[in-house]
Parts: sequence; structure tokens; C-alpha cells
Amino acid sequence: MADEIKEIPTERMVINFGPSHPATHGVFRNILELDGERILDAEVEIGFLHSGFEKLGEHRTYNQFIPIADRMNYLSPLNNDVGYVLTVEKLFGIEVPPRCQYIRVIMCELNRIADHLVSIGMHAVDIGAMTVFLYAYKQREIIYDILEFVTGSRMNNCYPRVGGLVTDVPEGFEEKVKDFADHFLPTVDDIERLLTRNRIWVDRNKGIGAISAEEAISWGLSGPILRAAGVERDIRKDEPYSSYDHFDFEIPVGTRGDCYDRYLVRMEEMCQSTRIIQQAIANLPGGEVNVDDPKIILPPKERVYHTIEGLIHHFKLIMEEHGFQPPKGEIYLATEAPNGELGFFIISDGTNKPYRIHVRAPSFINYSVFPQLVRGHMISDAVAIISSLNIIAGELDR
Amino acid sequence: MDYPEGNQALAKLRATFPDSIIEVKEFRRDITVTIKKEALLSIMQFLRDDEELRFNYLASISGVDYLKIEGVENRFAVVYHLYSFKNNCRLAIKAFVTEGSLDIDSVYPLWKTADWQEREIYDLFGITFKGHPALKRVFLPEDYEGHPLRKDYSLEGRGERSRFDYEEG
Amino acid sequence: MGLESRLGDNILTTIADKFINWGRKNSLWPLTFGTACCGIELMSSIASRYDISRFGAEVIRFSPRQADLLVVAGRIVIKMGPVLKKIYDQMLEPKWVMALGACATSGGVFDTYGVIQGIDQFIPVDVYVPGCPPRPEDILNGLLKLQKKIERDTVLPQER
Repeated sequence: MADEIKEIPTERMVINFGPSHPATHGVFRNILELDGERILDAEVEIGFLHSGFEKLGEHRTYNQFIPIADRMNYLSPLNNDVGYVLTVEKLFGIEVPPRCQYIRVIMCELNRIADHLVSIGMHAVDIGAMTVFLYAYKQREIIYDILEFVTGSRMNNCYPRVGGLVTDVPEGFEEKVKDFADHFLPTVDDIERLLTRNRIWVDRNKGIGAISAEEAISWGLSGPILRAAGVERDIRKDEPYSSYDHFDFEIPVGTRGDCYDRYLVRMEEMCQSTRIIQQAIANLPGGEVNVDDPKIILPPKERVYHTIEGLIHHFKLIMEEHGFQPPKGEIYLATEAPNGELGFFIISDGTNKPYRIHVRAPSFINYSVFPQLVRGHMISDAVAIISSLNIIAGELDR
Repeated sequence: MDYPEGNQALAKLRATFPDSIIEVKEFRRDITVTIKKEALLSIMQFLRDDEELRFNYLASISGVDYLKIEGVENRFAVVYHLYSFKNNCRLAIKAFVTEGSLDIDSVYPLWKTADWQEREIYDLFGITFKGHPALKRVFLPEDYEGHPLRKDYSLEGRGERSRFDYEEG
Repeated sequence: MGLESRLGDNILTTIADKFINWGRKNSLWPLTFGTACCGIELMSSIASRYDISRFGAEVIRFSPRQADLLVVAGRIVIKMGPVLKKIYDQMLEPKWVMALGACATSGGVFDTYGVIQGIDQFIPVDVYVPGCPPRPEDILNGLLKLQKKIERDTVLPQER
């Protein structure tokens, strides 16, 4: 009987995996060619969320693009905002006060933790572990509470402005953040106890979707995927921005470049982010949050209501067809988003609207390596690989 | 963004490809080198493989439509942003593409990341890349007409978003 | 619906209406068609703090044949339109549609070439939940409004 089974002829099958599928987070379509359960080849079709961000950016003023930039990587909106705002500030050639830089760092790191929590949570749900998702979301709700306390909304906060922030943080911010940072690490320990040495987790992730360091560099990967492949690259350390060089933190680097290493890198990054937050909160400088230049950022309300110059500056920044006008030039700045290198390439023609905004989206570049990673694996491994790449559809398609 | 290394790359480029460099601009400590598009592959190979420079990471490729900016001769340009792990410095290379001959060499043989990024530029601008393994649209449907990011294409599109001739499921 | 509609408009049909509607509204099985940011807030409303399970809707089914509430959360672009229509057509009656967020309702912030300005241009919508993104409490409020709408349903044949 066993010999007869071996001789049964099989055919290759081409199936559709997406765009509406429970295991793909976000809308993209994978076309897999299968021989039984083994994947021979894969092709990817994207564009199911292409909304025209870059074209929209050309029709909005610089500050009006900030809420749109939010909606790209919607799991960590403040990272997108800060990256964009830093690029425009580089165009102007200004630097914001230290208090603003520290607050931006705290917001970015809180969002990084939130992003990694969802990434690990959804990775676990795909493999079948539902509890991790609930633990992760419990912590995420606490982060949302802090963000709502400061910015007014849970998601898509739109908090930074070119030249500073909307407002200074309210009273009680430091206690809340300190409280969160001091009580967050036990959750990481819980998740670690559930997953890291779990036989099922290790079997489903070790050796799956491995990539070497040279291949990763050639494919332009960045973020946890590149670090898991063994390349020590983090823009916060190599090209520090927004006073990241004041903080003491380490960069976790993997060895094998497979899904298990990516999971470990993300877990360790959450711990390092907590370290950065604790240092930033302990040393938060005082002073102004906005640059003292009324041609770039709105003056404080007392000056608007009591002096004529304040009113004129306010008018010139707010009204239709006004708004600040950066010098002409082309600029590129990259920041370390949770998914990797998020770069903004902005061309200014001297008017109040950008001439061209190009976003170097990490998810877009990271996802292009998927057909190579998945070849030769089983179909259930494809699910693990997609989750470990952490593809956010808003950033993928823009 | 380290200035001395950027200058070193510039000096080597000027020495090796004196005729292909059209313009060098420095703005906020970033260097952009405008080159002739015919020399693109050889310059990129030199930048990637030279022992001292080692620009082995292609961070981003962007397409630009200079239609509405005065003083620029050719309409389209492709901008490559390179990064060197060894020297921790960046460099931007720009190559203009004229409206009459909308094609340029693909750098896919050097960096695999160029695959999707060049497809994106083809999709949104209409610039073709010679030597690309499979150049087709990446974001918009296959039968879409027009290239949206060009300056003469309106923001609201040409009515595709109101056409609902879907087949009954 | 055979026997009930022959009974006419009397107390037997109203009791049947109440019973059937009570059953349907308290056990809606959503198909979360989450594309963008609103999908994340939808996931938050399913998680433990805002627990959608209190209203009986925690059974998320990704197959259209097994769900009766299509929750469209996020922007729908021209490439995704046919996919959404196919999924809606595959669902079995009775089915309801909730448009979650500003983008599904009317295109939202994105008045561009790619985004369809509202899903009600090609599928009928029962509840619109505005917001960008709506808070989980808003999502649950939308669910409650849909439940109130289902209460007014009847087994008698009616003009739609």
C-alpha cells in the first residue's frame, strides 16, 4: 500500500492567499504555486490600499500633510510624524529646543513599543496563541491612555508641528509615563514565558524564512529584519537625530535571520525602548517646546490676543494660501521607525506647498523579499513569515 | 552625512568619471551629484564596488516630474539615495530623463531592492527601466490608463473611482 | 418565509418577529473587512477592555458564508472595490453592512484618484459610524444602533 501511495500522481496547484484572508494583516495578495503543501514559487500583488498619499501631499501645505503622514503606519503614527517634521526642519536648517526633542523621543519610543506589541501579538495569533494578543493589547490600552492624555486622540494623533509641538505636555505626564515604564517589563516576561521556549513556537519559527546579511543588504531591508540577519544597523545610533545620542541603549542583533530571531529582536527592542523612556523622563529638561521663530510656528495665544505682531504672524501662518515657505532645495532624511528606515525625500520650490514628497516606506521594501523567503517552505510557514515581516498595508501601498 | 567622507566620494567620482558629471550640489550637508543617464550603471557599479567607498546599500529611488519648476531643462529625473555601511555616509545621485526618451538603465543587477522601487516609478510616472526583470504596474490595476504622479494629472483622477462596473459575484 | 407570511399581521407574527429579531440582533457574527487604521480600532474593541463579546458579536468569521454583518473598516480603493462587492454578494441573507470610519462612509481625508468616495455607491449600508478613527465606544454605539434597527424587522414580506 505504501508503494502505491508513492506513485499517485500529483499536480501543481496555484492558489490565492489574500487579499481578504484572516492570516494576512492588511490587504495584499499572494499567489502561491504549491506541490502538495510545499511552496514552489510565489508572486505578490499589492496596491489594494493605494490612496495616493504622495500626490495628496503636493496639494496640501506642509503642516496639513502631518495628519496624512499619520495614516501611513497607523500602528505607530507618531514615528511617521516625527520623521516628516524633522525632514522639513532640516530643510529650514533649524533645530528645536531640547525639551521638544526629549518629548518627541518619549512619544516615538512609546509608539515603538505599541507597534512591536501588535506585531508579536498578531504573530502569535497566527501561530495559534491567542493569550499573547490579549496581554499585548492590555498594555497597548495603557499606552493609548497616555497618548490620549497628551494629544487628545488615541490613534493618528498628529502631535508634532514643524518647529515644535502643538502644545506642551500637561501636568501629570511624567508620573503616568514613569508608572508605565516601571510596570511594563513584567508583561514582556509573561510573553517570554509563554512563547520563547515553547516547543510549538520554536518549531514553527526556527529556521523558517532565513536570510543572510549580504542578501538582506542587497534587498534593502531595514529594521528588525536586518538586525536579525546579523547586521548592526540602527539609525538612532549611526545617524542620531532628536538627541538620541544622549541616551544609553543597546541594539539587539540576531544570527540566523529567521522568524525566531526577528521575534527575539523585537522583544529585546521593547526592553531597550523602556530604558530610553526611563532615561528621558528622569532628565526631561525644562523650557520652551517651540522654536522661537514666529514665521515657522504659531506664536503663543497671549501674544496673538495682545500684540499686533502676534496677530499678524498668526494670520500669515493660518490663512488660506499663506503658511510658511521653506527655502528651495531637495532634502532626504531617514529615521528609525519600528519597521525600519523611514525616509522622506522632499523637494521644495519655495512656495507654501511641497513640490514633491516621496516616502521611503520600510514595509514596501521589506515585503519585496517575500517570494524568496517562502520558496521551499510549507504553506503554514508562509503565514509565519508574513507575520514576522510585520507588513503594514498603509505604508506598503501609500 | 559625514562631510569628509562625502567629499572623498566626490573626489573619486570626479577623478574616475570626469565627463559624466553634470552638476554637484551641496545643501544642508547632503551632496547630490547629477550625472548623465548613459553613465548610470558604470557609476553605480563603481560606487558599490570600490574598496574605500563601498556604497552597498540603496536606500531609496524616487522619481520627480520637474514640469512646474522653471529653469530645469529636462522634465523627469530619477534620484538614487545611497548609503555606505563602511563609512556611515550618504550620497544622492540624480539622472535626468527627457520626455522624448523616457527610459533609463535599471540597477536591478546591482541591488535587488530596485525591483519594486523601479516598478513604482514606472507605475506612477511612466519611466521605463531597461534590463528590469518584470516591469509592470505595482499599485494600480493593470488596465489603468495614465500615470498619476505626473504634474498634468489631476488629484481626483479621471473618473476611475466612480466607475462601478463590477461583475456579479 | 412561507407559513409566517400567510398568518397575516396579527399577534402571532409580532411574537414571531420579536423572537426572531431578538435572536438575530444578539448574535451578529461580524466579517471584519479591515483594511486600514479603523481595523486597528476594531481590534481594540474586540480585545478585553471594550469587549464586543458583551453584545454577542465576538465570533469573528472571515468567510462570507458564515457571517452576517460585514464591517467595512478602512479606505476602499479602486483595486479593492470588486473584492468587496464579491464578498458582499457571497454573504447569505439576512445580512447587514456597517461602514466604519470616515473613509468607508465618504472617502474621508482622501479625495484622490485612488479612493472610492464612500462604499454606499455600490453596496447598501445600514449603519454609518463616523470618526477618524472612531473610538471603540463609537463602534459599540454603532452596533447598538444596528441592533435597534434589527428590532424593527418583520417576517412579513415588505417593500424594500
